[in-house]
Amino acid sequence: MGRRKTREQVHGIFYPRSVAVVGTNRGRGTVPFDIFYNILKDGFQGTVYPVSPREKSVAGVKAYKYVIDIDDDLDMAVLVFPSTVAHLAMEQIGKKGIRSAIIISAGFREIGEAGMKREQEVKAIADRYGVSFIGPNCLGVINTDPECSFNASFARQMPAQGNIAFLSQSGALCTAVLDYALAKNIGFSKFVSFGNKADISEIDLLYYLKDDPKTKVILLYLEEVTEGKALMEVAREIITERGKPVLILKSGRTAEGATAAASHTGSLAGSDEVCDAAFRQAGIIRCETIEDMFNYAICMAYQPIPQGKRVAIVTNAGGPGVLATDRAVREGLTLARFSEKTTDILRKSLPHTANLSNPVDLIGDAKKDRYSAAVSSILGDDGVDGALVILTPQSMTDIPSIAEELCSIDRRFPKPLYTSFMGEADVSEGVEILQRHHVPHYPLPEDMCQAFSRACLFAELRDRDPGQPTLYDDIDTDGVDQIFAAVREEGQSLNLDQSFRLLDACRIPPLPYGLAGSEAEAAALAEEIGFPVALKVVCADVTHKSDAGGVLLSLDSTEKVRRGYQGILESVQSSVAGARVEAVLVQKMAGDGEEVIIGIKQDPSFGPVVLVGIGGIYVEILRDFAVRVAPFSRGEARAMVRSLKLFPLLSGARGREPRDVESLLTCIERVGQLARQRPEIAELDMNPLLVRTQGRGVVVADARVVLKKTFEGGYDENHHS
Amino acid sequence: MERGEIHSRVRKVIASVLKLAEEEVTAEANFIFDLGADSMQSLELVAAFEEEFGVEMDEAAALGVQTVDGAVEFISGILSTQG
Repeated sequence: MGRRKTREQVHGIFYPRSVAVVGTNRGRGTVPFDIFYNILKDGFQGTVYPVSPREKSVAGVKAYKYVIDIDDDLDMAVLVFPSTVAHLAMEQIGKKGIRSAIIISAGFREIGEAGMKREQEVKAIADRYGVSFIGPNCLGVINTDPECSFNASFARQMPAQGNIAFLSQSGALCTAVLDYALAKNIGFSKFVSFGNKADISEIDLLYYLKDDPKTKVILLYLEEVTEGKALMEVAREIITERGKPVLILKSGRTAEGATAAASHTGSLAGSDEVCDAAFRQAGIIRCETIEDMFNYAICMAYQPIPQGKRVAIVTNAGGPGVLATDRAVREGLTLARFSEKTTDILRKSLPHTANLSNPVDLIGDAKKDRYSAAVSSILGDDGVDGALVILTPQSMTDIPSIAEELCSIDRRFPKPLYTSFMGEADVSEGVEILQRHHVPHYPLPEDMCQAFSRACLFAELRDRDPGQPTLYDDIDTDGVDQIFAAVREEGQSLNLDQSFRLLDACRIPPLPYGLAGSEAEAAALAEEIGFPVALKVVCADVTHKSDAGGVLLSLDSTEKVRRGYQGILESVQSSVAGARVEAVLVQKMAGDGEEVIIGIKQDPSFGPVVLVGIGGIYVEILRDFAVRVAPFSRGEARAMVRSLKLFPLLSGARGREPRDVESLLTCIERVGQLARQRPEIAELDMNPLLVRTQGRGVVVADARVVLKKTFEGGYDENHHS
Repeated sequence: MERGEIHSRVRKVIASVLKLAEEEVTAEANFIFDLGADSMQSLELVAAFEEEFGVEMDEAAALGVQTVDGAVEFISGILSTQG
């Protein structure tokens, strides 16, 4: 990726004062015409010029053969010529002194090598003239700010003005989203289809939106994360410094990347798991569907972010109230307990058959007055963080009046108020009123609860202190260098001895062991270490030692060790033809300790990531693991461990003695530091790491380390600290 | 056929299909960028060249030709093998 764009460069895309549409024509219903016509008809506050080789005018506006023929200064060009001549157009755009462009045309990188060459050529010309551009291969850009009112897209309609920004890698999705939003009265501040992002990227756009006063919530649709670290950084700034939620819908959840991984860490932490973890670390809310994205967006854009998770559910129907309650609790919300004052008001305002506690049932014949009394008193209660109001349409339900009243209450209380008018036809008038007044509405109460929960999650992620990573200064960096240098001479994988020495250099102790080159040495070592022992083959040619018959456990006599030594040599030789066995490792048997896996893998988008899992040999079946992008703080390490479903095994479930979780956290931090400082590590597995009882630390029983095939430097700046 | 004649006939065909004055059809002109041909007209041009010169053209290759000079070159090549 190139250098970051300046704020002014991105601003030029949204706020041009004069625009040329280069390559337009008079063909209604074609992209070149519709782009020009949309700019014209949607109230652009500047001047627009059609550039068309053959037309004298387009839509009644005088046309120019070339952009350089236009006498006036121009801020922007929207390029709609076919890709085959985009370079010619860009050359003229540059010569004309235009500094911003949108390249709508397709036929670039997305079609293969020939298109990639074209894209590079156009980008090179743009760079030479200092032109910043969106695209190519995109729907265009919309800025609803009345100061500019700029619709340089071939969308069917200009969206309403709003405080939600939408950025999309897919152009086709944009038109569907616009239509969806139109039906729900959702407005946008900025709307960008950024296509192939050959110049201005989503990261540049996010930095701009961070300080865009018209934008309160940012939505991003991504098909690939190309700059993971940069995305995390800018999102974190937007969320913590500006308090703006960033919601991302990332497609491609299927984990094709995990299949090729040789390590447990690699196979568990596929690209999608890493994406989930990275987004969470940055405070980004990941959405599953477009509908989810807008469900979350409207509540965060229209309502205050909840101060807490205590909700009050108000309903005129028992069943939906129970459904909402179930979902609210499942989403981690709590049902608020009302004050005596609130309960008094409810008692006086509601019939004696009404349920006065949470969820409040107003009874089926409830009209505006009951909703008004209940919702007002509840929102005035200090023990309530938000109200979730449900309505089902009975014959006597005055739907529009209730909707109007809820809008009025919403204006009076600085707390979130969400609604769910269930049904469709009968409630439509009320729904329209709610949407017009920006009171979030959800057809299903479950979706309303989920949206409230996500708003709470946003608050939690926004306010969380990510902490600083601990930098351990007792790492034997010379020792690590020597191991890596030796491995580089021989290949890619560290043998078991090298893996243990690497971890030992990082102050992560392996179980006591020694290397034997003969039966006699193995027997002597076993007697010295103390029975029972394990024997493990040391051979870089063997990827999975157990599968090759290279591991024997719980040998409790000298004779068994002698026989075991020979057995291992024979098994490995017959399993892996030509395997060069370097030694047999004699190791103290593990004894007690909870088995944990800790690993490193390199993610192509986010860089080094660390995985912590639990479940011993069943870790892949249980899939009980947590992932973080390195570096991370001890607090994050603690959150990782606590998020494991089997964490109670470590904390002392059912009378078990608690394990040394603090030592485990230190170990995770040290692995995080290793991952960050040694990017030449492609994969690392410590499996199992044994977490002993409190105060007795952790020990590594087995480990596997693979280095990158080619590595050209890139050490962390703190490598030698 | 001499190159000069090919050039003259190519210009005539282009002017006729794109409804332009012949003098607008300069040697370096790009069909799309300078003469404003759209995709349909590009196909019409290929058909018109085939008829004018009595040859058959590979459509994909023909549509890859971008300029008037390029068309003269392309047709000369075909005439030397087919004509």
